[in-house]
Amino acid sequence: MHGVALSRWTMSYFAAALAALMAAEVLMAAGYGFPSAPLRAPETLLLVHLVAIGWLSLLLCGALFQFVPVLVARPLFSNMLPLPTLVLLLAGLVALLMGFLQLGGALGAWPWLLPVAASLLAGGFMLALYNLGRTLWAARPLPLPARFVAVALVFLAATIALGALFSSAFAGLVTSDALLRIAGEGVGLHAVAGIGGWLTFTAMGVSYRLLAMFMLAPETDGSRPRAVFGLGTAALGVAVLGGVILVVFDMPSGLALIAGGAAGLAGIALYGADMAMLYRKRKRRVIELNSQMAAWALAYFFASIALALILIGLGVFYDHIGAVVFLLAFGWLSGLGLAKLYKIVAFMTWLECYGPVLGRMPTPRVQDLVVEGPARKWFVLYFLSVLAATAALLGQHILGFRLAAGLMVVATALIAAHLVRTRRLAGIGLAGGVRRPHLFLPGPEPAQP
Amino acid sequence: MFIQTQPMSDPDSLRFLPGQPVLPGTVMKMADRSEAVTSPLATALFDVEGVASVTLGPDYIVVGKKGMAWDHLKPMLLGLITDHFVRGAPVIRSGSPAREPETEDPLATAVRHALETVIDPELGYNIVGLGLVYAVAIDKDGTAAITMTTTTPGCPATNYLRNGAYQAAVGVEGIDDAEVVLTYDPPWEPEMMSQEARAWLGF
Repeated sequence: MHGVALSRWTMSYFAAALAALMAAEVLMAAGYGFPSAPLRAPETLLLVHLVAIGWLSLLLCGALFQFVPVLVARPLFSNMLPLPTLVLLLAGLVALLMGFLQLGGALGAWPWLLPVAASLLAGGFMLALYNLGRTLWAARPLPLPARFVAVALVFLAATIALGALFSSAFAGLVTSDALLRIAGEGVGLHAVAGIGGWLTFTAMGVSYRLLAMFMLAPETDGSRPRAVFGLGTAALGVAVLGGVILVVFDMPSGLALIAGGAAGLAGIALYGADMAMLYRKRKRRVIELNSQMAAWALAYFFASIALALILIGLGVFYDHIGAVVFLLAFGWLSGLGLAKLYKIVAFMTWLECYGPVLGRMPTPRVQDLVVEGPARKWFVLYFLSVLAATAALLGQHILGFRLAAGLMVVATALIAAHLVRTRRLAGIGLAGGVRRPHLFLPGPEPAQP
Repeated sequence: MFIQTQPMSDPDSLRFLPGQPVLPGTVMKMADRSEAVTSPLATALFDVEGVASVTLGPDYIVVGKKGMAWDHLKPMLLGLITDHFVRGAPVIRSGSPAREPETEDPLATAVRHALETVIDPELGYNIVGLGLVYAVAIDKDGTAAITMTTTTPGCPATNYLRNGAYQAAVGVEGIDDAEVVLTYDPPWEPEMMSQEARAWLGF
């Protein structure tokens, strides 16, 4: 098995994800949720899940259906499952957001809404886990980046399980004291499993392969990346599993977070050294926009860790935890996501349109489908807006935050416009039977040779 | 004559760039001296103590070592390769299966030119210049046998590139059919690119 097929529904995942990101940014600019509302307010929960599930998880699922096969050089277990997975996830997300609206009093009291949302989301994520898990299982022994993804999928399952427990407890379906204790005190563990275990660990693993591929850098598979994997897995295991055990025995879960955090810090430091080495040893001296912007995202990742350490040192971490999570979600995960979208959308569009005519007629390059110069300034605006929003959060300046969020809306909309431009093959002559692809839906049949 | 050397990801391998063609259009990987009988150059390299493998490429030679230090081996290998090319000795013996550079079948050369219309979408350069085409041979029936690779295994563009190479080859006058074989042995490395491709990509 040498080549892998195009993932037909990935572009639909990306479109839904971008819509969720823009909706979340508009809400923040409009003063909905944190910091205009408290951190645990239903409005903030709506915003957080719109970003975590609607934007980041849909983005990662869509990307993984295409790139897990690349990581393991084997086909995806099922090309049929991504569509029902997407439908379940979108239905679950809508139900979840409505559940939070109901919690905030904006909708009538429907106590069953959150358990239904949890069931739909669990169903969608389980299908994704099954599909990706079977693909990875068939490819053992796994290369290092794929092992990161495998561990991340375990933490996705943990995140779903904790979320389902919360919604069931809210609906009064849980009677066990131990489970009720987890439901009452497990929000931090849910966040660590989701942001750290699922989203960040996937991004770290995939970055090892994608950055090496796109910059022609030597693939890192030595002792240091293996240490990053080992330390990261141990850190997340201690923090999440250890935290749950402590809560069950009525002890503070913070102990597990501290122990896991120490191992995690060591792993992140080594990961930083690996990423620096990838950029330093790249053969491609002039790198593309996606790799340039990925460097910004990486810098924001390390900045958010440094910010957390400084706040802990000053004894004010819990006062500013929102700023740290914001920087992680929008600077690191969203920044990296947007940067890689810029590349992946062009690459997949090229394959869809020009792959079938390769060798029969002259074809453009992937780079001909994008115009990096104009796009660069919107990426820069995005990253600077995120920085300004983080500063406003630290300074507890709500209006400043909303203005910065407004700039994020503008930047994201213009980046999205560039992605649409790429999908429309703007500025490229169509010849030899090449047709414009659908914007985000697959064509009538797979364009495979 | 000036021969450049380049370290490789495997510290026991070293690439030598003599600045002139070695084995255009193909790659020969030899794991021991018995596999090197067709190549006087490779045979001579295997005669050096510590040499474990030799790979001859379009414009490079990769030597793998076992046990010895490069400080000790490198001067001997440089001297041997320089002497070989200065004498004008053949890389491959006449009549051996691997073609000599200057005697490539004109039809194979035409196929190679046609393959230059196939670009790798990611790097934006043609697959011949990128060093992705390891060998082109034409049999008596007019079938082109193309051995090629991709920059990374599992690349979504793989099947398109293979099909593109097929289409380009059968479009050459005198070629009735083509067989495109993918291989990852040896795996592609950026050093396999032509000087033009490297310059184009900003190496």
